[in-house]
Amino acid sequence: MSNYIPTIGVEVHVELKTKTKIFSNSINGYGEMANSLTNVIDLAYPGTLPTLNEEVINLGIKAATILNCKIRKVMHFDRKNYFYPDISKNYQITQNATPIGYDGYVEITKENGEKKKIYIEEMHIEEDTCKSAHRGTKTLLDFNRAGVPLIEIVTKPCISSGEETKLYLEKLRELLSYGDISDCKIEEGSMRADVNVSIRKNESDPLGTKAEIKNIGSISNAKLGVEKEIERQTKLYENGETFLPQTRRFDDKLNDTVLMRVKETGNDYRYFPEPDIPFVVLTDEMIENARKTIPMLPDERRKKYLELGVSEINTKKLIQNRSLSDYFNTLLEEKTNHQVASNLLLGDISAYLNKNEKDITETTLTKERMLELIELLENNTLTSKNLKEIINEILESTETIKEIMKKNGIENITDDTEIRNIIQKIIKENPESVNDYKNGHDRAIKFLMGQVMKETKGKANPKMAMDILTEELK
Amino acid sequence: MKYLNKDIKEINKLLKSKKIKPIDLVEEAFENIEKNKDLNAYITLNKEEAIKQAKSLEDKEVDNLLFGLPIAVKDNIVTKDLRTTCASHILDNFIPIYNATVVEKIKAKNMIIIGKTNMDEFAMGSSSRTSYFGAPKNPWNPKKISGGSSGGSATTIAARDVLFALGSDTGGSIRQPASYTGIVGMKPTYGRISRFGLVAFASSLDQIGPMTKNVYENALLLNALVGKDEKDLTSVRREEEDFTRFIGKDIKGMKIAVPNYFMSDIVSSEIIDKVKEIIKLLEKKGATVDYVDVKYLENAVTLYQIIAMGEASSNLARFDGIRYGHSYENPKNIEDVYLKTRAEGFGEEVKRRIMVGSYLLSGENAKVYYNKALSIRDDMRKEFKNVFKKYDLMIGPTTTTTAYNLTDPMDDPRKSFMDDVLVIPVNMAGLPGLNLPIGFDKNNMPIGMQVIGDSFEEAKIYHLASFLEKELNLELNPFGGEEDE
Repeated sequence: MSNYIPTIGVEVHVELKTKTKIFSNSINGYGEMANSLTNVIDLAYPGTLPTLNEEVINLGIKAATILNCKIRKVMHFDRKNYFYPDISKNYQITQNATPIGYDGYVEITKENGEKKKIYIEEMHIEEDTCKSAHRGTKTLLDFNRAGVPLIEIVTKPCISSGEETKLYLEKLRELLSYGDISDCKIEEGSMRADVNVSIRKNESDPLGTKAEIKNIGSISNAKLGVEKEIERQTKLYENGETFLPQTRRFDDKLNDTVLMRVKETGNDYRYFPEPDIPFVVLTDEMIENARKTIPMLPDERRKKYLELGVSEINTKKLIQNRSLSDYFNTLLEEKTNHQVASNLLLGDISAYLNKNEKDITETTLTKERMLELIELLENNTLTSKNLKEIINEILESTETIKEIMKKNGIENITDDTEIRNIIQKIIKENPESVNDYKNGHDRAIKFLMGQVMKETKGKANPKMAMDILTEELK
Repeated sequence: MKYLNKDIKEINKLLKSKKIKPIDLVEEAFENIEKNKDLNAYITLNKEEAIKQAKSLEDKEVDNLLFGLPIAVKDNIVTKDLRTTCASHILDNFIPIYNATVVEKIKAKNMIIIGKTNMDEFAMGSSSRTSYFGAPKNPWNPKKISGGSSGGSATTIAARDVLFALGSDTGGSIRQPASYTGIVGMKPTYGRISRFGLVAFASSLDQIGPMTKNVYENALLLNALVGKDEKDLTSVRREEEDFTRFIGKDIKGMKIAVPNYFMSDIVSSEIIDKVKEIIKLLEKKGATVDYVDVKYLENAVTLYQIIAMGEASSNLARFDGIRYGHSYENPKNIEDVYLKTRAEGFGEEVKRRIMVGSYLLSGENAKVYYNKALSIRDDMRKEFKNVFKKYDLMIGPTTTTTAYNLTDPMDDPRKSFMDDVLVIPVNMAGLPGLNLPIGFDKNNMPIGMQVIGDSFEEAKIYHLASFLEKELNLELNPFGGEEDE
C-alpha cells in the first residue's frame, strides 16, 4: 500500500459554563427533568424575542484570547434557517459573517517533543439545539439544551494524523476547562468534535474528497476514527475507486466509522443578520476586563511549579487536578518548601479528599495553617507517621496544627541540649551496645535509639536524635 | 347614558367622584360593539374578563387619566389567557400563556382590554382582507375597506366603540387605515415601544402604536406605552417625557418640509389639493413650508419588499404545528407535519410572502438583495436626517387615494404595496409618523395627512397635529356625533 498525505480539519462545539442560556434567562443545566429548564423564548412562542447573555460575550472574548485568536470588535448574529424539530424557531442564531475570533492557534507537543501549531480559522458563538429521542414511531423533544450557549472552533485543514487530532483535542480541552470556558465533558456532550478527513498523493495535489466524522464519543475515538478513515480512503483509491463527499459517524461497537449520508449539494441556510439583536461592539475595556479574569493556564503553571523546585511528576499530577492546582497557586508567592507542599497535597490530603469525597475548598485548611503544617514537617517537629494520625483533624478543625499535635500528645522534643543530655545518659548506661556499635554492629545504634525514644516517651525529634547520637558515638 | 363620547378629562372626573364606575364604560363599549358588529372589527371579545376586571377596579383609586377605560388590542399582540390569532387559521386556537410588554403596561394603568381586533393575516396586507375571519368594514361606508393591516383597530375607533386601540405598523399598517377611517394613528420611532409579545412580521420594521379619535388621547396613550424593555434588545432607553406637553401651543416659526415625491402625480388630485390647503393655512399661521427633494423615497417600496419578506419568511418558520397552533392531523412523517400544517394554516398572501422572502435570502440572493437593501436603507436614513437638520417636521399625504371598495380585485400584489408607497419610507428610516384627518373627498370619505418627525420627536409631531386639529375642527364621527340624551 502506497503512502497518502492525510489532511484533517476539526470542528469543536463546546457548551459554555454560564448560569443561564444565551438568549433567555432559563437555567443552563444538565441532567434535569426533560423540558424543566425552558421558557417561552426557548420554545419560540409567537412574539418572543431573544435577549443576550453578557456572560457569553465575556467567555467568547476569553476563549478567543486563550486560543490566540484576533477578536472582532464589531460583530453581529445571523440567522441560519432550516426546518428541523431540534430548533424551535426553525432558525438557529449563530455568527456566520462576523465570528468573534479568527486567525488563532493552539500549540501541541508531539511525543518526540516536536511542537506544532494547529491553526484556528475562526471561532463563533451560537445556541445549542434541543435533544431529540426516537421512541418507535414517535420523536420526543427535550428543550433543556435548546439555547445553551456554544462556541464552535474551526481549525484550518492543517492536522496530519490521528495522533495530532488527539493531541489537539486534549490541548483544547485542557485550555478551555482551565480557562473556565467550558467543563468540556465529552460524555455529557458539553464538548463535541466533528472531524473532516481527506487524503491525497502529493502535497501539490488538490485536496481529496472529504468525509466528515460525527458522533465521536471520546478523544481516543477521534484518533481511531481518523486512522480508520485514512485506511478506508486509501483502500478505495488503491482499488481505483472514488467516493462522494459524505457524513459518517463513529460506531462504538464496531470501533469504526459508518456511513450516515452522502452530502447533499447546495445546503441553503438563507443566512441573514439577526434583526432582533443589535450589533455588539466590544470596547478595549471590555476585552481587557474579560482577559483579566482568565485563570493561570496549564503551561504557565507548569513553568512556575518547576521553577519553585516541584518535581516533574508532582507538577504533572497537580495540573491534572484543577482544584489542587488552584490551591497550590495560593502558595506560589510564599517562602515555603513547595516540594513538601506538593507532596502533602498529592499524598495525605488527596487520600483524605478521595476517601471523604470532598474538594480541598471544603476543608478547613487555610493558607496559614497549610504554611504552618509545611514548616512543622520540614523541621521534623511533625513526623509523617504522626501526620497520618491527625490529618482528619487538620482538615476538619480550625485549631492551629501545634494545638492539634498537643491535644494528641504529639510533642517532639526539639531542644538540642535536652536531647543531648538524655543521649549522653543512655550512652553511659549502655557501654556494651556502644562497644558493639564501635565494633561495626550497626544494629546496636537502633537499640540505643530505641532507648532514647523510650526515655523521651517518643517525643524526641527522631532525625535530630539520630544526628546527635551518631555524633556522640564518634 | 353615554359616557365614552365625552371628553376624557370629564370621564376621569366622573370616575373619580364615583358618579360612574368602570363597569359602566365596559358595558357601554360592548353595547357599541354589538351595535356595530357588522363592521367586523373584532376577532375575539374579552367580555367576561373585562367585566370582572372592571368590577375589581371599583375599590381602587382612580390615579391616572387612562384608569378604567376600555382598550382594543390588535390581534397580533399576545394577551395572556385571551386568544391571539394574528387573523390566521394557523393560530386560531392559540391561547398565550404570557402578556406582551405593552399589555402589561396598559394593565398597569388599569385599562381594560375589551377584545382583539381584526387585521390582515400576520399583518400582511393593506386592506385587512387577508384576514381568516373576513375583512372589517369602513364605518364611513361599509362597502369600503378600513385599510390595513390594523383595519379592526381603525374601525372600532372610527365607529366610536372605544376611545383607545393598539395597532402595529410595519409598512404603514397604523397610519394608512387611520387615514382611510378618519382617525389619529401614530407609528412611533423604532425602539420607542417594546416589541416583546408582538408577533413578528418584519422585525427590523415592526412597531406598536396608539390609535385614537384625537391627538390628545393619542399622546396620552403613547405616554403609557413607551420605555426600554429588557426583553427587547431593540427597544431604546430615553428620558421620560410627556408627549402632550406641546399640545395647544403656537406653531409660529415652525419649519416644515414637503417632499416633492409626496405631492407628485402618484397621489389623487383631491388629496393633493387638501394638503395644499393645509400648507396655506400653516403659512398663514406663521410656519415656513418648503418643498424639498428627498432621495430614495421612490425606492422605499422595493427595499421594503425585500427586507420585510425576507424577515417574514424566517419569522414565520416557527409556525410548524409542533409546539402550538394548528397542526395537521395524522401526518406520515415530519415533512408532512411541516408541509401540510403550513399549507392548511396559512392564507394565500402569507404563503406568497414566505415564498418570495425565502427566494430573496437563498444562496447568493441574500447578498444581492437583502444586504444591499439594508445598505440602501442606511443611505435613506441619512437622507432623512439631513432634511431634519433644517426642518422640524415633514408633512404630506398619508395615502394616494381614499378608501376603495371591499370588492376591488386583490390579484395584483404590487398594487397593494402602492397603497403604502407614502407610509413605507417612514418605517424604512425608523422614524415616527402620524396620520391626522384633514378633510373628506367628494364621496365623504376621510383624507389623511402624514406628519413625520426626526427620531424620538413624537412630541413635536403631536404639537403640529393638535394645532391643525383645532384649526380644522372637523366632524369626524361617521355616525354624526349623536349627543347623549
